[in-house]
Amino acid sequence: MRRTYLGEFEEVVLLMVAILDGEGYGVTVSQALEEHTGRIVTFGTVHNTLIRLEEKGFVQSELGGATAERGGRRKRLFRITALGSGALQEIQQLRQNLWQLLPPHTFRLGGI
Amino acid sequence: MRSPVQPPRWAHWLLTKLHPDNTLEEVEGDLHELYTHWYNSSGKTRATLRYLLSVVSVLPPFVRRRKTNKQQHYTSSLNSIMIRNYLKIAFRTLKRQKISTSINIVGLAIGLATCILILLYVQDELSYDRYNEKADRIFRVALKLRLNGEDASGPVLGSSAAGDLQQEFPEVLKVTHIQNQSGEFVSYGTTSFKEDHLLYADSAFFDVFTIPFLEGDPKRALTEPNTLVVTEETARKYFGNQEATGKVLLFGSDKTPYRITGVVRDLPVNSHFHFNMLASLATYKERHMGWLYNMNYYTYLLLPEKYDYKQLEAKISRLAEKEVGVELQQFLSISLKQFREKGDDFGIFLQPLTSIHLYSPFGGTELSPGGNILYVYVLTAIAFFMLIIACVNFMNLSTATAVRRSREVGVRKVLGSVKGQLQLQFLMESVLLAIAALVVGLLMVGLGLPFFNQLTGKALTMSLLINPFVAVGLVAGAVLVGLLAGSYPAFYLASFKPVAVLKGRVTTGRGSFNLRSGLVVFQFFITISMIIATVTADRQLRYMRTQSLGFNREQVLVIHDTHMLRNNESVFRDRIIQSPQVITGSISGQVPVGKTNNDNTTVMAKENPDKGVMSRFYYVDDAYVPTLGMHVVQGRNFSKSFSTDSFAVILNETAVRALGWQKDPIGRELVGNIDDNGVKTYYRVIGVVSDFHFESLRQKIGPLVMFLGRNSGNILVKTHTDKLPQLLASLKQQWESFSPAAPFSYSFLDDRFAQVYLSEQKIEQVLTLFSSLTIFIACLGLFGLATYTAAPRTKESGVHKVLGASGSSVVALLSKDFLKLILIALVLATPIAWWGMDQWLKGFAYRVTIDWWIFALAGLLAIGIALLTVSFQSIKAALMDPMKSLRSE
Repeated sequence: MRRTYLGEFEEVVLLMVAILDGEGYGVTVSQALEEHTGRIVTFGTVHNTLIRLEEKGFVQSELGGATAERGGRRKRLFRITALGSGALQEIQQLRQNLWQLLPPHTFRLGGI
Repeated sequence: MRSPVQPPRWAHWLLTKLHPDNTLEEVEGDLHELYTHWYNSSGKTRATLRYLLSVVSVLPPFVRRRKTNKQQHYTSSLNSIMIRNYLKIAFRTLKRQKISTSINIVGLAIGLATCILILLYVQDELSYDRYNEKADRIFRVALKLRLNGEDASGPVLGSSAAGDLQQEFPEVLKVTHIQNQSGEFVSYGTTSFKEDHLLYADSAFFDVFTIPFLEGDPKRALTEPNTLVVTEETARKYFGNQEATGKVLLFGSDKTPYRITGVVRDLPVNSHFHFNMLASLATYKERHMGWLYNMNYYTYLLLPEKYDYKQLEAKISRLAEKEVGVELQQFLSISLKQFREKGDDFGIFLQPLTSIHLYSPFGGTELSPGGNILYVYVLTAIAFFMLIIACVNFMNLSTATAVRRSREVGVRKVLGSVKGQLQLQFLMESVLLAIAALVVGLLMVGLGLPFFNQLTGKALTMSLLINPFVAVGLVAGAVLVGLLAGSYPAFYLASFKPVAVLKGRVTTGRGSFNLRSGLVVFQFFITISMIIATVTADRQLRYMRTQSLGFNREQVLVIHDTHMLRNNESVFRDRIIQSPQVITGSISGQVPVGKTNNDNTTVMAKENPDKGVMSRFYYVDDAYVPTLGMHVVQGRNFSKSFSTDSFAVILNETAVRALGWQKDPIGRELVGNIDDNGVKTYYRVIGVVSDFHFESLRQKIGPLVMFLGRNSGNILVKTHTDKLPQLLASLKQQWESFSPAAPFSYSFLDDRFAQVYLSEQKIEQVLTLFSSLTIFIACLGLFGLATYTAAPRTKESGVHKVLGASGSSVVALLSKDFLKLILIALVLATPIAWWGMDQWLKGFAYRVTIDWWIFALAGLLAIGIALLTVSFQSIKAALMDPMKSLRSE
C-alpha cells in the first residue's frame, strides 16, 4: 500500500480547502480553522501548510479574485486535486476500518 | 477605493522587504484582509498584535518558499532526453578539443595510476603474515642486548627459551622455534643444489603458522629426527612429478640422510620468513643450554584470543632475568647487576607477528629482509600529493577549456536553462572525463606493473583490483574526483550572465589567479626538489662506481663454496693455476665486496698493551694480495720461503695510523691471542698495504690485520683471457672430477660490485620515475594556467602590437609572470632539497659534495620546461593578428 504522507494539521487544512470548494485561500482557511476547530494558529503555519500540500500534489492553486478590501491584491485560491481527495478518502476509510475493529465494550468499561 | 483600516506601516514594510518575492502579493493581501477582520472583531490593539505575529511567521526562516515554476519544471523534467543531449554535447566538445581533452585525461590518469600502484604496494606491505589464521595472536620473542659496549640485539634466543616459556606460562598456548640453516648443499642421486631457504623447526610449527599440507600429516610431520617437509616447488625441483613423501635427501658434504614426511603449499610471498625445506629440530639433541648460549632460534608464541601481550612481556622479562643471571654467572662469572653496571644491558620484548615486517628494528638478523614503515608513509604521501595535484590540474584545465564554451552557456540560458541544469551538465562531463581517466589509468597500471615490480622487488598483481569492494571504491573515487574537479567550472560557468556572455565579455577573476599561482609554485617546488635529488643520487652512484677501491676488480673470477671440496681445495687451486689463462689463484673466505662477517677483534701494540684497536681480521694465503692487485706500500707480501710468516701480519694504512706506528711500522709487534696457559703470541708486521674498501663506500675504511692462514670458502682467480667460456668449461670439468656435494658456481668480482649498489640504483630509478612524473604533471598545471590567463590578455597584446611591439617582446611580457613563480619555487626548494640530500648522503662514508651548479641546473631545467610549455600559448597570442583581437568589441 502506498503510504499517504499527510500530517494531522495538513489533513485538517486539506479538509478545509475541500469544504471551501474553490473559495479557499489564506484568509478563509484560517478563519474556518478558527471557527470550526477553535484552534488559533499563526498565519505562517497555514501559509506553509498550503505550499507543502501543493508540493505534494494534494491541492492546486491559481491567482485571481483581487478585491478592494485587500488593497487590490490578488489571492491565491486553492482547490483540492483528485490525489488530495483520494488521500482524504483513504484516511477516512482506514479510520472506518479501525473503528469496526474496536470491541463494543471498550468505551462502556472505560466509563465514558 | 481605499480600505478604511490600514495595518501598521513598519510591519508592512518589514513584510515587503523580507518575504519571498513570489508569494508576496497574496500574503500581503491575505494579511491585509485578516487585519481588517481582526480590527473589526477585537479592536486595534489585538489586531496589531496578531498582525505582527503573523508577519513574523511568514518571514524567513519560518516561511516556506514556494518553488518557482522553473524549479518545478526542472525537477520533473530531468529525463533521459536532456541527459542524452548533455552526453551528445559532451562528446562533441571533447572531440572538438582533442588536445586539451587528451592532456586532461592523461594527466588525471597518471595521477590515478600512481595512486593505484602505490595503493597496491602499500596494501602488499601491510598484508605481511596475515595469511596466518591466528596472525593476531602470534608473537615473537626478541632480545635487547648490549654486550661489551656493542649492540647485539636481535630476534633470536638460545634453544632453551622455547621450552621454558611453554613450561612456565599457562597462557602461552603453543611455542615454536625456528633455526636458519640456509646455504646447505642438498643432493638427491646425482643432482645437488645449494638450498638458500632451509629452516629447522619443531613439530609445533604447524600449530602456530597456517601452512596447508598437500601430502603428509601436519601433526606428525616434524616429530622425528632427520625428517623434512618440503614445498611443492622444491618437490618438483628434485623429483619432477614423482611423489616426494618417503624419499630421502642427503644434506651437506657428509651426506646426512633426511626423510621427507610432507609436502606443503609454497609459502606466500608476503611472509616474513621463507623456506623451501623445513627440517626437524628433533634431529639435534635438546639439552638445557640456556637463553643466551647459541642464540640462533627465532621463538614464536601463540597466545589466547584478546590477550594483552604486554602483561606477558613483563612476566617473561622476569623469567629471562633469572635465567640469564645464572648464565652470566656461569660464563662471565658476574651477576646481572654487575653486567648492567659495566654499561651492558639485557631485556626481552614481544613483537606482534603482523608488525615484524614493517616495524622490526633488526635488519640483518631477520629471516628475510624487512620492509620499512617510513617508505609506506612516504609513498602514501606521494600518492596523496599526486592525486591532489592531478585533481587541481584537472580542475584548472577544465575551467580553462570551459571558458571557451561561455557562448554555449549563454545560448542555453537564453533558451530557458537554469543554473542547476548547467551545473549538472558540466558535472556530468567532468565525471565522464574522470571515468575515462580511470580506464586509462588502469591500463597504465597494467603496463607499468612489471616495471614497478622490478623496481620494488615485489610480485604485485592486479588481482586485488578485482575485489568488488576495491573496484566499487575505485569507480566511486573516480566519480568523486570528477565531481570535485568539475564543481568549480560548473558553478563558475553556470553563474555567467547570459547578456554579458553573448556580448563576448567574459571576465576572469583576478583573485583566483593567486590560488593558481600558489599551485604552480607548489608543483615546481616539488619538481625542482626532485630534479636536485635525482641529479645528486646519480652523481653519488657514478662516484661509487668509478671510485678507486684500492684493489683491482677487473678479470677476477670468484669460485664459490670451494670448502665443499674439503682437503682437495688446495689441490684444485694448484691445478687451476697451471692453466696459461690464469695468473694467480688465492683461497680465501674474504671477498672484499659486499657484506662480510662483521667480526671485529681488538688488537694491541706490544709496547702499548692497554690501548686496544678494533680491527677486522683477514686470514689469507700468499696469493691474496697479488690476485686482488693490492698495493704493498711498505715491506713485503707473505711468502712461502719465510717459515716465520705464520707469525707475521700485514696491516692496512688505517691500522698503522690507529696503532700510532706511522714512522716505521715494519718489524713492530702485535699482541695476539692468549692461550689457556696464559702464553701470549706476538705477531710481527712484515708489510703495509694501501687502504682498500672492503665492503662498500657506505662504510669508512677501518683498521685491518691480515694473517697468513687457511681460510677456505672461495677461490679468487685472476685471469687474462678472451676465451672465458672455454676457461669456465675446463674449470667446471676439473671441479666435477672431485665429485663434490656442491655444484660448480662462480661470479665475477665486478658483477658482485654492481650488486652492492643495487639499492642505491633502485633509489635513483624511483627518483627518476617520480621526478619525470612530477615534471609532466607540473607542466600540465602550467599549461592550464597559461591557457587560462593568456586568453583575456589577447587584447592587451593586440594593443602592444599595434603600438609597435615585436612578437618576441609580447612573448616575454606574457611569460614574465610565470618565470617569477618558478624563481619563487626555486628559492623555496633549494634549502629543503639540500637538507634532504645531505641527510641521504650522510649514510655514505665516501660521498660527493652537493655543488651549487646542481641547483642552477635544476632551476634552468625547470625554467626551460616551463617556458616551453607557456610559450605555446604566449606565442599564439603574440602572433595573432591584432586586428582580430581588437575588432571584436
